[in-house]
Amino acid sequence: MSQRMTRIHLFGLGGLLLIAVGTFLGLFVAPPERYMGEVARIMYVHLPSAWNGMLFYLFAFGFAIASIWQHKPKWDALTVGCIEVGVVLNFLLLLQGSIWARPTWGVWWDWDVRLTTSLIMLLLFAGVLALRSFVQDAHRRATWTAIATIVAFIDVPLVYFCVRWWRSLHQVQSTPETVSSFMVWPLRLNAIGLFLLTIWMVSQRARLEMIRHQQEQIDEPARMAPVGGLENV
Amino acid sequence: MARQAWAVVRKDLLLEWRGRSRIVSVLLFGVVTLLLFSFAIGPDSVILQAAAGGFLVLALLLSSTLGLSESFRLEQEQRAIEGLLLLPVDPVALYYGKCLSNTLFLMLLAPVLTPVALFFYNVELGPTGFLQLFGLWGLAAAGLSAPGTLYAAMTSRLQSQDVLLPLLLFPLVIPVLMGAVKSVTLVLTGDPMSQIQSWTLLLASFAIIYWSLCGLLFPHAIEEGS
Amino acid sequence: MSEGMIVGGWNYVIAAYTITGAGLALYVWSLIIRLRNSHNRDED
Repeated sequence: MSQRMTRIHLFGLGGLLLIAVGTFLGLFVAPPERYMGEVARIMYVHLPSAWNGMLFYLFAFGFAIASIWQHKPKWDALTVGCIEVGVVLNFLLLLQGSIWARPTWGVWWDWDVRLTTSLIMLLLFAGVLALRSFVQDAHRRATWTAIATIVAFIDVPLVYFCVRWWRSLHQVQSTPETVSSFMVWPLRLNAIGLFLLTIWMVSQRARLEMIRHQQEQIDEPARMAPVGGLENV
Repeated sequence: MARQAWAVVRKDLLLEWRGRSRIVSVLLFGVVTLLLFSFAIGPDSVILQAAAGGFLVLALLLSSTLGLSESFRLEQEQRAIEGLLLLPVDPVALYYGKCLSNTLFLMLLAPVLTPVALFFYNVELGPTGFLQLFGLWGLAAAGLSAPGTLYAAMTSRLQSQDVLLPLLLFPLVIPVLMGAVKSVTLVLTGDPMSQIQSWTLLLASFAIIYWSLCGLLFPHAIEEGS
Repeated sequence: MSEGMIVGGWNYVIAAYTITGAGLALYVWSLIIRLRNSHNRDED
């Protein structure tokens, strides 16, 4: 067990290392971008955050399906791990996007398709976490989290398309990804580094959930579980 | 299974008819909401006219949350849901029955709130327009009911249903909201570029996807676990 | 020329990196604290 523990910490450390190198390259070695100047360097954190956030929501979706298929605590632990970390990345993404928008477009918020979709995703998945916090019974909590995750994830492409159509009636301003001339290396290193770091964060969050689950199993006979599920007191 | 679903719909409609005060209250709530929007924006008729579609759909959406949260209240209060499960009722049939009765309930809101909105916001509409609106609202209501029924069933067992249901539902149904607002506005103000088809397609897709998905998930939501 | 069309970019860059770093650090710290608390509970 402790060997497995050490191995996972390597993910975290390795991730941090790659991010450190990538950030150094991005800030001090990569040239300024033609149109956006120094501001373009924000992309070296913004894009990795976007990719990883989306990826881990996808993993959450997969784990949620597993959780319904096979009612095992580890699937629920991994689901909530991916969602919680996804929400953190999602939130940071919105802040980065806003900071990027200010010098570029002159406003803190512009209803950019990707950022708007990202905002709605944040609300969807934060909602799943909120739902979770109100359910005391572990089995029901796991099932309902999985259901809400699946429902939320399926919504994402629908939201993306509808926001895009909604926006297409107005001027679509160029989002970071459509701008050219990036240095590939800071982007790649940060993306992979963040990926490794996120794996570590998810593993720790999942471990926390497994511990909670075990503690609830121990407490269960001692606790007079009220009937009916209205236990949020 | 269709027969069971229909039995659920009949039961709900009967209960609804007996307790007419509920739908009347929800309708009144919708009217009040429309009024509040006017006060929030001010009496500038140009703005109100342009935003009329949006306000109408928002009022319907807010009213629908009330309707949805009530739809499992009776079962929860009288612990009837366990009773329903003990009977040989297929949970999926229960879901589709509830979903259909919720959709019908929501559709009842449109004939009342639409004339009120047109009146307040000074918008004219011919009979074809009315029919189009009701059709669009029917699609939107179907789209709202699918996840709404699922989440209403889940949150009816929690004390914080009045917060959780809107919190979970509103971000989810943004495509329905946008589709409905856009298409209703196009009906009210004219559609020179025939955009209404895309939005109608979005509404229909959402309804189909979620009617299928939530029907699959519903049995898991109400099963008794540990 | 090094600034391109946008002037004064460095402040924003620093803000973005700092917020991201701080956000991640805060979350990691919260994880560690929560894990520590749950282990302490175990030992009770």
